[in-house]
Amino acid sequence: MRFVVAFLAFAPLGEVFGLWPIPRSLQIGTTALKLAPNFDIHVNVQHAPSDLSDAVSRTKSHLKNDKLGRLVVGRGSLDSPAIQHAKSLASLKVSLSKGATVRSITEEARLDIETRSEGYSLTIPADGSAAILSANSTLGLYRGLTTFEQLWYQWSGNLYTIEAPITITDSPAYPWRGFMLDTSRNFFPVSDIKRTLDAMSMVKMSQFHWHVSDSQSFPLEVPGYMELASKGAYDPSMIYSPSDVKDIVDYAGARGIDVVAEIDTPGHTSIISAAHPEHIACPVATPWSDFAAEPPSGQLRLASASTTNFTAGLFSAVAKMFPSTILSTGGDEVNANCYEQDVETQADLKAAGRTIEQALDVFTQKTHGAIIAEGKTPAVWEEMVLDHNITLSNNTIVLVWISSANAAAVAKKNFRLVHGPSDYFYLDCGAGEWIGKTAGSNSWCDPFKSWQKAYTFNPQANISESQAHLVLGGEQLLWAEQSGPENLDSIVWPRAATSAEVFWSGPGGNASEALSRLHDVAFRMRQRGIRAIQLQPMWCALRPGACNIDS
Amino acid sequence: MSSGNSPVKLSSEFDIHVRFANPPADLRAAISRTKSSLFSGKFERLVLGRGSADADLLKDARTLVSLELSLAAGSLVRSIAEETNQPIEAKSDANSTLGLFRGLATFEQLWYDYEGTKYTLQGGAEINDGPSFPYRGFSFDTARNFYPVSDILRTVDAMSWVKLSVLYWHIIDSQSFPLQVAAFPELSEKGAYSASEIYTQDDVRRIVQYANERGIDVVMELDSPGHTTAIGAAHPELIACASKSPWSKYASEPPAGQLRIASPNTLAFAKTFFDSVASALPGTMMSSGGDEVNLPCWEEDEETQADLTQRNMTIADALNQFVGTVQGVIAAHGKTPFIKSDMVLTHNVAVLNDTVVVVWQTSEDAAAVAERNLRFIHQPSNYFYLVHMTSYECILLRSIRESHSGTAPTRARRFVHAQYWLLSLWHLLRSPVRASQMPLWSEQSSPENLDSIVWPRLAAAAEVFWTGATLPDGTQRVGENATSGTRALARLNELRYRLVDRGVQAIALQPKWCVLRPGECDLDS
Repeated sequence: MRFVVAFLAFAPLGEVFGLWPIPRSLQIGTTALKLAPNFDIHVNVQHAPSDLSDAVSRTKSHLKNDKLGRLVVGRGSLDSPAIQHAKSLASLKVSLSKGATVRSITEEARLDIETRSEGYSLTIPADGSAAILSANSTLGLYRGLTTFEQLWYQWSGNLYTIEAPITITDSPAYPWRGFMLDTSRNFFPVSDIKRTLDAMSMVKMSQFHWHVSDSQSFPLEVPGYMELASKGAYDPSMIYSPSDVKDIVDYAGARGIDVVAEIDTPGHTSIISAAHPEHIACPVATPWSDFAAEPPSGQLRLASASTTNFTAGLFSAVAKMFPSTILSTGGDEVNANCYEQDVETQADLKAAGRTIEQALDVFTQKTHGAIIAEGKTPAVWEEMVLDHNITLSNNTIVLVWISSANAAAVAKKNFRLVHGPSDYFYLDCGAGEWIGKTAGSNSWCDPFKSWQKAYTFNPQANISESQAHLVLGGEQLLWAEQSGPENLDSIVWPRAATSAEVFWSGPGGNASEALSRLHDVAFRMRQRGIRAIQLQPMWCALRPGACNIDS
Repeated sequence: MSSGNSPVKLSSEFDIHVRFANPPADLRAAISRTKSSLFSGKFERLVLGRGSADADLLKDARTLVSLELSLAAGSLVRSIAEETNQPIEAKSDANSTLGLFRGLATFEQLWYDYEGTKYTLQGGAEINDGPSFPYRGFSFDTARNFYPVSDILRTVDAMSWVKLSVLYWHIIDSQSFPLQVAAFPELSEKGAYSASEIYTQDDVRRIVQYANERGIDVVMELDSPGHTTAIGAAHPELIACASKSPWSKYASEPPAGQLRIASPNTLAFAKTFFDSVASALPGTMMSSGGDEVNLPCWEEDEETQADLTQRNMTIADALNQFVGTVQGVIAAHGKTPFIKSDMVLTHNVAVLNDTVVVVWQTSEDAAAVAERNLRFIHQPSNYFYLVHMTSYECILLRSIRESHSGTAPTRARRFVHAQYWLLSLWHLLRSPVRASQMPLWSEQSSPENLDSIVWPRLAAAAEVFWTGATLPDGTQRVGENATSGTRALARLNELRYRLVDRGVQAIALQPKWCVLRPGECDLDS
């Protein structure tokens, strides 16, 4: 499948309110239309899966409970006369195109990433006749429902739009529209993750990249490897049990989100030594900066056959917990000095007659082999293809993080890639260095990556036409050294919605046009209990454009 | 301070006794809050194993049954609120109920929880304490975005835990007018963001009382004559260049709009306005703001020009008259007038001798203010601003510094790191002026991120203001180890966990792995 790169064209649209991401084809009018008191959503799908019925119920509940006033001075009061005379919409008819296979949203969301069908079309006539939502898949219908929810404002008991008739034909530019959360540096309860999934689904995100473990803590209970969490979690209350994982992946699936777990290896694994000291080289060695990118140091003994088998077994077990077709083995920031100083690793290398690089190759092939044997595709951080010479299967997905400039090099090697560059998409930058005794230095990836910066990202920059199909999409990322439940919502939302639009609608959007829509989705998130921050004084939010630099 | 090293448990009958007659009600309330937080606190010591690491020590620990509060013989017994509202120079943190309140805040920080047992490992400690700066402030903008009363009260609580003494309340601005004014109720009726986003007179009384009972004085700022567009919603006749475009020509941020300073009408309004607000406030300080006035706004305003011609005045004359008028009202209420530094340094406005100047553009302005023999407060944007600095604003800040024009095109912003604080305020600590405040401007803040953007960073500032340059062990605060995880950072981590335990959403400064292993995440460890 090839992805058509569309550039947004806003000029003919006039004012567009709350839609985020903006649909790829959209026609609107200027007629007011309200929802009838008996408005209902009728699903005309044979054997409709239960997650579709649940999604419809949630949409009805959002319509009832969002209670969002239009973001203009006076909120809805100016629309009052138009609302009075508006026609009423009594029904939204939801159906699949003829011959479409009926699968659950969850199944559709977990299909191979390049074969998913997320497109839909939505028509809302101005005369009160039924609105029509159709798609080739239940996942497409679900995306259409999230669009439908964003069209309605409340004023004195009425839900209305002033933009009827509305005709939308929509589908994503890229299939990977993600958010990455690190739950190892600091822990986030299941309820925080679910709320995050809710927010992600509002903006049609498709991938929850879960960086579940790292050197600091191992919060994931893996059947057969329970000691990793029992000894490596911060606290018995800071563990994701297999039933928590099922709860999360099911919750995500029902919201059109695939959960890609990441067990970062062979670096970023110090805490495995709490249960298995025999598998870890240079655990908590000092000075840590000689052995790791951040404290504590510690890496899997990649030259040891026993460690390699242990890790491959771990991946087989993790693969069984996560229904996604993708599983990440990480692979960033492997520290050579750690292995050079480790007596056991040196002995193993000598015995096998291998260099560290050769051992990394063997190790990776073994762990990836375990993942492939489970029917899944491995994902890796960029160093595994740019800094190391190892054999990876052709369909491996490469996550670019160090710099946006590195995506082109990954594409040149003919690997599929996901954009997560620190210079655009790292949500943690700009909060100062967290390492002690640094005399208050800036964070390594300063400055703060504003939504405006993220919005300018071009997924195809420096990537040739013939390699364009390798770009699966991208994601914004929260590394959690300085984050926790206390600031999760405020550091992520609405900023992370930026890339959701870049990768759904395609690049080239105009940030000053987008701002009023981003305000709108942030206000709607707050109505749903997600603590998205204000991007401007409310004075500006109610007067689109009035706070632009040139107005 | 001499530190103790004996484990001591709180008896289940532990109580706090007042050893002087007629303790005021707010002290009794503070004592009951202390007892309640001691017994309900769930904070465990930040070491590997948390409280269980201390289990053995607790077996033979002695038990503390009471804390006795006393005042030096002959001390006047006043309420905490009365002490708080004394003039800043006369404020006593010793031999007063206010001093006892500060001591209770310290006492609360000594105790940890382990399975319901409350204990300290500092038994035998002796602490003699008093503030380095009497004015330790937090400046809070509730106009760009609105905060409910409950958010302000929670912030006041947290401020009191770190012994801050002043809430400088930037309550109104061009974007909204949330303050209900007795003489002009229409200002908030028409100028607030919505009917539910107003601080009623009762709300203000409640907030001030709540703060005063917690040792925090409230200095209200009625920013004028700039930053007043929202007044125009009710009184368009008072505002020049209201929402005029392009805003960047007429204001430092949108919307444009300033009081028509040359109009007798405006002067009469300002007089009644300041009088009405001042008469409802118990404190001894009040600010008329005065930052970022824009000259083209008045130069192009027909009414202002007509008034100037008729009265044969320049804008500078009118500005002097306006400031003189509002300062006169503030002084008539027995309050010390505060003003922003650009009024004095850029516009050379004559101010009352006892005026306190809020130095906000750059720390370098402090010397210029001192040369004019005026008292001042440090609030320089190059150290103290809590907001994030985007790349755009960074460039702006640099250009402001380089051009040093004095008329900054917009408010310069800088994100200040918690650790940065503990090192970079050296010049401040050497300054003879003992007054500082850290502001939160709310263009990009709101209830959603109030706690996370303020805490625990504000606590780092509070320590600089309270403790000063020298730590209890006699060493200088500012040194190469200051931000080590074994020193200030360890205490700041602990404070952050205590804040979270009490419902303030303070952010993590490090991975918990580091927090439980003080020093192991230092650069050189």
